[in-house]
Amino acid sequence: MLNRHHRPTTLIAITLLLTTLAAGSTSCGGDDGDQTLTVYSGRSEKLVGPIFAEFEAVTGVTLDVRYGSSNDLALAISTEGEKTPADVFLSRSPGPAGYLDDLAMLAPIDTKTLDRVAPTDRSPDGTWVGFAGRARVLVYNIDEVAEVDLPGSVFDLTGPNYQNLVAVPGSNSSFQDWFTVFRLRNGDDVATRWLDDMVANGARFYPKNRAIIEAVGRNEIRFGLVNHYYNHQEVAANGDAQRSANHAFSQGDDGGLMIIATAAILDQSDEKELANRLLTHLLSDSQQRYLTDTVYEYPLAIGVDAAETLPPAPADTVGAMQIADVAAEFTRTIEIIEASGILDQ
Amino acid sequence: MNEEVARHRAGVGRPPRSLVSANLLIAVLFAIPGGYVVWRAATTGGGQFATIASRPTLEPLWRTIQLGLLVSTAAAFIGTGLAWLTTRTDLPLRRFWRIAVPLPLVYPSFVGASALQSGLTPGGIVHDLASVTGISMDLRLHGLFGAWLVLTLFTYPYVYLPVAARLSTLPTSLEENARLLGDSPVQVFRRIVLPQARTAIAAGSLLVFLYTVSDFGAVHLMRFETLTQTIFRTRLFDQDRSFTLALVLLVLALVVVAAERTIARRGTRTQVVGDRPALLVPLRRWSAPSLAICTLVVGLALFSPAASLADWGTSGWTRQLRGGASLRLGADDVLGPMWNTVWISVVAAILAIAAVLPVAYLLTRHRTRVGGVINAVVVAGFAIPGLVVALSLIFWTLHASPFEFLIGTLPVLVFAYVVHFGAQAVRTAQVAVSTVPRRMEDAARLLGAGRIRRLRTVELPLMAPSLAAGGGLVMLSTMKELPATLLVSPIGFRTLAVEIWNTYEAAYLPEMALLALVLVAISALMTWILIVRRVNYLA
Repeated sequence: MLNRHHRPTTLIAITLLLTTLAAGSTSCGGDDGDQTLTVYSGRSEKLVGPIFAEFEAVTGVTLDVRYGSSNDLALAISTEGEKTPADVFLSRSPGPAGYLDDLAMLAPIDTKTLDRVAPTDRSPDGTWVGFAGRARVLVYNIDEVAEVDLPGSVFDLTGPNYQNLVAVPGSNSSFQDWFTVFRLRNGDDVATRWLDDMVANGARFYPKNRAIIEAVGRNEIRFGLVNHYYNHQEVAANGDAQRSANHAFSQGDDGGLMIIATAAILDQSDEKELANRLLTHLLSDSQQRYLTDTVYEYPLAIGVDAAETLPPAPADTVGAMQIADVAAEFTRTIEIIEASGILDQ
Repeated sequence: MNEEVARHRAGVGRPPRSLVSANLLIAVLFAIPGGYVVWRAATTGGGQFATIASRPTLEPLWRTIQLGLLVSTAAAFIGTGLAWLTTRTDLPLRRFWRIAVPLPLVYPSFVGASALQSGLTPGGIVHDLASVTGISMDLRLHGLFGAWLVLTLFTYPYVYLPVAARLSTLPTSLEENARLLGDSPVQVFRRIVLPQARTAIAAGSLLVFLYTVSDFGAVHLMRFETLTQTIFRTRLFDQDRSFTLALVLLVLALVVVAAERTIARRGTRTQVVGDRPALLVPLRRWSAPSLAICTLVVGLALFSPAASLADWGTSGWTRQLRGGASLRLGADDVLGPMWNTVWISVVAAILAIAAVLPVAYLLTRHRTRVGGVINAVVVAGFAIPGLVVALSLIFWTLHASPFEFLIGTLPVLVFAYVVHFGAQAVRTAQVAVSTVPRRMEDAARLLGAGRIRRLRTVELPLMAPSLAAGGGLVMLSTMKELPATLLVSPIGFRTLAVEIWNTYEAAYLPEMALLALVLVAISALMTWILIVRRVNYLA
């Protein structure tokens, strides 16, 4: 009985001890004059971590990196406002960077850094620069589909040959990026009709690219509109057991699109020069090679070739499109996608 | 006996001013996320209120209500049934069940749902094992059914833990009498046990409802468009709509919380505590079916996702053995995050209990109008998605409080957990407070024991089982929390959930699976040490 009575006290004592320990462990962060840069990264640590480590090793600069989803981090930055600790923001796609740009929270990037990539791979006003690309492709099951039967155009998918066979990730942000560009190039009428036709043709909704690769690999569905690199990762992991492959639409077809991961510098940053150095590092030949050879992305720096296993790079990039009002366009995209009923398929 | 004690006993007296002040402070702190939603909806979403009555809002709202009701009803049945079986019957392997039954709560929504989904569909390990044994499962987990099944399996512990805690402290005399008079176990359950556990069941079902309406991971994967899904999809490019819908969600939560409180208040006000080991009902011929039910539920909710995870994990090992890519997972990726997960979830649980105890005292011992409001503020906050909680704390810390220096430190993170999950400990804390007989407290008071000493030596030991159950819910929720951990933790602070998300994002499936298994194992250990042994305190 006595023992039991002591338990609550013990628990309280443990709490106090742990809180003290925690406080101690945070207070010993280095304020010793070293240069520090804070990065909010919407790209996963497993992909960009080695690039950051290399930068720290070469420059002696400490990088404090907060990882998260690009949209959430952009929201966090806009909520932090002028008090944001972020110096650099890496985003999966231009959308979240464009959102911060609209709020006038981004600083212009050095021309030298911008010139590492083609004009189509950076923002028109020089506030963000692409550093890696992911292509929209059609993934297919290699046991069920012969190469000759693969479509040249995304418009073919509404035909009878593809009835009930195509997976569409309607709520996925990459798909929505693609659909926004598709819509702006072809007009709302054509884009809406294509999506309605897809629904009428029995296209099936899957929430994620990866879910589609898995479903195609086990022949739950035959085709899927996805980002290219998931299949490369699955093949690298599973070898021949992975029964899916990527198909790029014909060069110039609206089905192909390069979605670029972007880097931006916050206007609030006190370390803009250092931030520019980090961006230059991201776009250096060696880091671009790492991105394409090890994590299967398309390099964007001029003069660096994509790994040979990747399908031909699409000609269009999201960055090439001058989107006047990103927020309004994405809202419209979401409205059309919702209205099509694809999310209920 | 003085007048104060008499009034105090009757439960009608004005609550002490210190208790009211403590409650107001707690309510203000818990109101931060909700207040932020209201403020954002009113400012940025000013012109959007018209959209509330439009089809794109009403349809997800209806789906949300539908899913919430279906999941909480199913969870109520499963949670109550399992609680009774594991605490009040001679079910074989009771010790094992008591540890295993609450554990499905610890699967992060996106991990659990995808593991369950791929396990049960063609190509998944559970599906394939079943077809080897001749059982053909042709489940396509998606839509309302998929979301219902997955959420029910992962949330019934919200009912199970408080009900098991309540049942383990029930007086046995009534049941003994009923059985002596010839009632069957089922009759005893319906006539004696159920009425006594009613408030605990309602409380747990409420948590299930609030969890369901604010969940994103499972409904996203199951392609079921609820309000929270829409809130997430529109969060960046249509913030007006996003915050307006968050407000709708909050109002829905407030309505449901108020409804539950009305039910709870009609229930027995004074709950009696047994003073000797609870009576175990012999199951006899019901033994086998009962075992089958436990096996089915725990098998589906805990072991089939675990089997998928183990399957993915071993595929990583064999890949490495075959000379393929080696596992990209070192001891550093596991040990540090594991320790962080353990201590921060325990600290969050203890602080959450401390934060809601005054609320529980006010609600249980005094009938005041302010009690209802405080209850609503504290409990409804659980329905606000974690991302919004994180954003509200960023905003509050940086722009609306003198605590700017705390941004990016552990106190803010722990505060986020407490504010977000404290609701889970409120009802169990009320049950805890009501299990302390007034006469015992009065005796201690008359013997000259001070407030703190009474709390420590008389009340806390009696309240321990119920408090532990509520604290356990907070602990398990904290262990898997993601959006707030990613956005407001000190940079570089990693929990297992963060590491799991990292590997998931990079599509490192085997690594993700192994980390998730570590999380389940750790939570099993902690559930046993901190909850099960405590809930059995009087059993």
